[in-house]
Amino acid sequence: MNKYALFLGCTTPTKVPQYELASRWVCKYFGIELIDIKDFICCGINQVNLSIEAGLLMAAMNLALAEAKGLDILTLCAACTGALAEAIEKLKDDTTKNRVNEKLREVGLEYKGRTRVNHISRVLYENIGVERIKKEVKKDLSGFRVAPHYGCHYLKPKSAFEGFEEPDNPRSLHQLISAIGAQPVNYEALDLCCGGKVFPVSEDLADSLVQKKLDSLKSKRIDAMVLQCQTCYLMYSDRQKEINKKFGKQYNLPIILYPQLLGLALGADPVKNLGLNLHTVSVDKVLEKIA
Amino acid sequence: MFKQPVSSSDFDRNFRSEVMKHPDASGLNACFGCGTCTAGCPIHEVFPEYDPRKLAKMVKLGMRKQVLSSPYIWYCATCHNCEQHCPQNVKFFNVLNVLKNMAAKEGYAPSCWIQQTEQVAKTGIVFSTEEKWVKKREELLLPSLKSEGKDAKKIIEFGGINKIKPKVNFE
Repeated sequence: MNKYALFLGCTTPTKVPQYELASRWVCKYFGIELIDIKDFICCGINQVNLSIEAGLLMAAMNLALAEAKGLDILTLCAACTGALAEAIEKLKDDTTKNRVNEKLREVGLEYKGRTRVNHISRVLYENIGVERIKKEVKKDLSGFRVAPHYGCHYLKPKSAFEGFEEPDNPRSLHQLISAIGAQPVNYEALDLCCGGKVFPVSEDLADSLVQKKLDSLKSKRIDAMVLQCQTCYLMYSDRQKEINKKFGKQYNLPIILYPQLLGLALGADPVKNLGLNLHTVSVDKVLEKIA
Repeated sequence: MFKQPVSSSDFDRNFRSEVMKHPDASGLNACFGCGTCTAGCPIHEVFPEYDPRKLAKMVKLGMRKQVLSSPYIWYCATCHNCEQHCPQNVKFFNVLNVLKNMAAKEGYAPSCWIQQTEQVAKTGIVFSTEEKWVKKREELLLPSLKSEGKDAKKIIEFGGINKIKPKVNFE
C-alpha cells in the first residue's frame, strides 16, 4: 500500500514546516500518496503525564480516524510514532480495546485494531528501499559526513516496533544516509536523548543533554547532524545559540531533517521544495558543498 | 530533596500495592534493585540526584508523600533506556507515569502539562493557531489546518484530566 493518512502532529506544522514541506515533496517523488485528515488531534504523548487513560484515548481516536478511511498512518515526529505504536500495542488487549471503544463511540468512532503506524523514514527504508533510493540519486554527496540521530521514540519501546530495529545498535538511518552517497559517522553519544520531552519541565536538564550531544560531535569533522523528528530538530538547532551562551561554547552545527537531505540528493529545490532557508542554524555551508 | 531521613513508622504500607495495581506499574514487583536503570539514564548522568533506582525503592518502602510530592518524578526525558536495559523487564517509564498520574490527582503537577492540555482541548493540538504560522504555511503552499479539536475536549474529559487542579508550581 502506498497511501497513508499523514499524521502531522502538533509541532511540525506550526514550528518546523520545512520538515513537512520536504516530506510531502519526497513522498510525492516516490509515489507515496498522503491523505490529510483534518480531525486528527495531538497524539496524546504528553497527556500521559497527567492521565495515562487520556493519552491512550487520544492516540486511539487518531488511529480510529485513519481506520475509518481504511488507511495506515504515516508520521513525521518520532514521539507521535512512539505514542501511537504504544497505543496499538496496548489496544491488542481486548478488555482495554473495549473500554476505549466505549468512549470512542461517543464521538462516533471505533478502533478495530487494523490501522498501523509507520514513520516516514521507516516507509522509505522498508517500502521504497535503499536500492531504489540509490538508483534515484542525482547529486554527488560523497565526502559529505553526517551524524545520524534517530530519536528515542523512533526506536523504543522495542516491543511497540515489532523488531524493526535493535535500539542499542540501530542501522536504518545509517543505511538511508549511505543510500544517497553521504557518509554516516558514528559517535559516542549516538543514543543520547534530545531532552525535548523534559524541556517544558526543566530547560536546564534538557539543555545539558543537548550540550553533551553537540560536544561529542565536536571532534568528528561532520558537515551536519541528520535527524528524523522535529522536536529533536528544535532542541539541536533552535537551542544551539542559547546553549552557546549558557555553556560558553561556539557550536555551529547545521541540523537537517532526513527528507531534506534526501530531497537534495534527488535534485529538489533547496528553498522551494525543502525550506532549507528556514533553519535557525544556517545550512549554507552544506548547500555550497553539495552544489 | 530526600535529604531528611524518614522513619519506617511513617511508611505507607499500602502505597506499593496502590501503585502496582495499575497494569502499567505491576512489573515493578520484579525489581531486584540492580540499578541498571540509573546507570543508563541520561538525566541521572547530568543530574545525579535524579535516580530511578532510588525512586523504585522508595515506592516499594511506602514513601508515598516523598515520592508523590517530589518534582523529580517529572524529570524523566522519556527516552526508555531504563526499560530497554532492565534485566527484569520492569517498564520504569510506565511506572513513573502511574506515579505522575497519582501525584497530579493530589495536586502535584507542573503547570506546563496542565496548560498544554488546556490548549489541546481548545485547538486539538498543543499550540494555538497563531496568525504567524498560518501565514507561513500559506507562503509555503502547505494546506491550511482547520481542526478545531471539538472532540479533543471530550476525549480529554473522558480521561479525567479536567479534574486535575494543581496546587504546587514546580518550575
